[in-house]
Amino acid sequence: MITIQDYINGLKKGKILGSKCKKCGNLMIPPKPVCSKCGSFDVEEVETTGKGVIRSFTVIYVAPEKFEDKAPYVVVLVSLNEGGAVMGRLIGVDPTKPEDIKIGAKVKFKPLIENGEQIVAFEPV
Amino acid sequence: MKSVDLIGIGMTKFGKRPDKTGRDLLAEAMQEAIMSVDKGIDPKKDIKALFVGYFTPTLYEHQAHYGPLSTEWLGLTGIPAFRTESACASGSAALATGYFAVASGIYDLVMVAGVEKMTTLDTPGVTDALSVAADNVFELPTGITFPGLFALMAQEYFEKYGGNWEDLQAVTLKNHYNGSLNPKAQFQAKISDIAQKIAIKKNVTFKDEMDFLKSKYNPMVAYPLRLFDCSPISDGASVAFLASEEISSRFTDKPLRIKGIGISTDTIALSGRADLTTSEACVNASSAAYEMAGITPDDVDIAELHDCFTINEVILSESLGFFKKGEGLKAAMEGRTALSGDKPINTDGGLKSKGHPVGATGIAMVHEIWKQLRGEAGKRQVKGNPKIGLTCNVGGSTASSMVFIFERSEK
Repeated sequence: MITIQDYINGLKKGKILGSKCKKCGNLMIPPKPVCSKCGSFDVEEVETTGKGVIRSFTVIYVAPEKFEDKAPYVVVLVSLNEGGAVMGRLIGVDPTKPEDIKIGAKVKFKPLIENGEQIVAFEPV
Repeated sequence: MKSVDLIGIGMTKFGKRPDKTGRDLLAEAMQEAIMSVDKGIDPKKDIKALFVGYFTPTLYEHQAHYGPLSTEWLGLTGIPAFRTESACASGSAALATGYFAVASGIYDLVMVAGVEKMTTLDTPGVTDALSVAADNVFELPTGITFPGLFALMAQEYFEKYGGNWEDLQAVTLKNHYNGSLNPKAQFQAKISDIAQKIAIKKNVTFKDEMDFLKSKYNPMVAYPLRLFDCSPISDGASVAFLASEEISSRFTDKPLRIKGIGISTDTIALSGRADLTTSEACVNASSAAYEMAGITPDDVDIAELHDCFTINEVILSESLGFFKKGEGLKAAMEGRTALSGDKPINTDGGLKSKGHPVGATGIAMVHEIWKQLRGEAGKRQVKGNPKIGLTCNVGGSTASSMVFIFERSEK
């Protein structure tokens, strides 16, 4: 059964994991241990390419305490090529120029360690 | 199943209340609720159970166990009581629990309450406290905030249906106008009043309201949403009494009947959703409530929608079926949701202007429906003798959605 720890270990190895229902074929990214369509527990781990396009984005100016020194920074929701979506930080762009960030632009996964924590980041392709 | 009537309701003024803790605010709201019961209520004798919604008392007051804490402070020790938590829908969770308790026949009269004492923390602290309603693995490590989550929805809305941030200010202007007519509101001021005040204080001039809203005095919080797109940090409480139909006439001849209730969930993480411009949970919750009440969205005379951020009022107005998909923003711009419009929304100023002490919000929404349907809303009273009112209170980025439909019944 896939766990949160499996997902985080995947990120550390440079992979965004998903899961796939062996009964109905439903693909879940991020992964879930139980099929969101048919309810089956017969679910297997799958790897994604980490490539996709920007589905939506925002620039955070008022940040939570532990991110205050990083603001402003860009957070994106990325539609992965395999399906599903993942939220992450967008790096390699100027957060003060949101007009230059385009919905639909291609990005790829870039593992990032911040404050000792493994986080999901994307960079433009 | 028994029908359930709302027989009385009260709320504190919302805003910064440095003089009062959470339990003190509950006492203030309860006293007003008692006064609102037309034929009187004896709390010691009549209240059989208490359910209190409070999202994060542990973070704001280092206090949990708010059920017995409340009964003790309010002179009710001994009756069944517990806290309900469903993020920003914690108050509606108390209301729903109270409804179930009375409808089931277990108790004939219950008190439901909501409270949040937020101003004990500074803005980054509150941002942190609120963020625990989001997913701690798939969302929070990115540095996303609640304004950020709703900014993602706004961006997808503009991309899909057109419109822009300036258009969205129709909601800001309307809700601040409504709030200026509400003595309980945190901001009893129109945007033009606020702009004028800042202009004098900072010795600057603004051409008009939009000039102010685009200025540095309305700073960016999460692009494209600015400060006045966000509901404020507030203290406040609300209290209501629910009674079974069999005994409600002992307390009032003008109760509001709870005609419909609908509750639904969605993925907490936005990444799990196919469409950020519709709240599926609100679609499901409202469909269930409409079916139970035997009405359609067109039958709703007034509605209180969870405008924690301006964009959410637009999204909910579509998800609840008041307007077609992609037409909610236009409806707000055309004034259709104003006090004088054909579908008045957030006549009390909404969360935006009235304030949003998270746990208190669900029942505070009902407070406005009570005032409007009983013709007691004063300067902001909607014309045409409204009969059916709806509340839609959501938790997080609408992962918890709760809808209630009320109808005025004259006995």
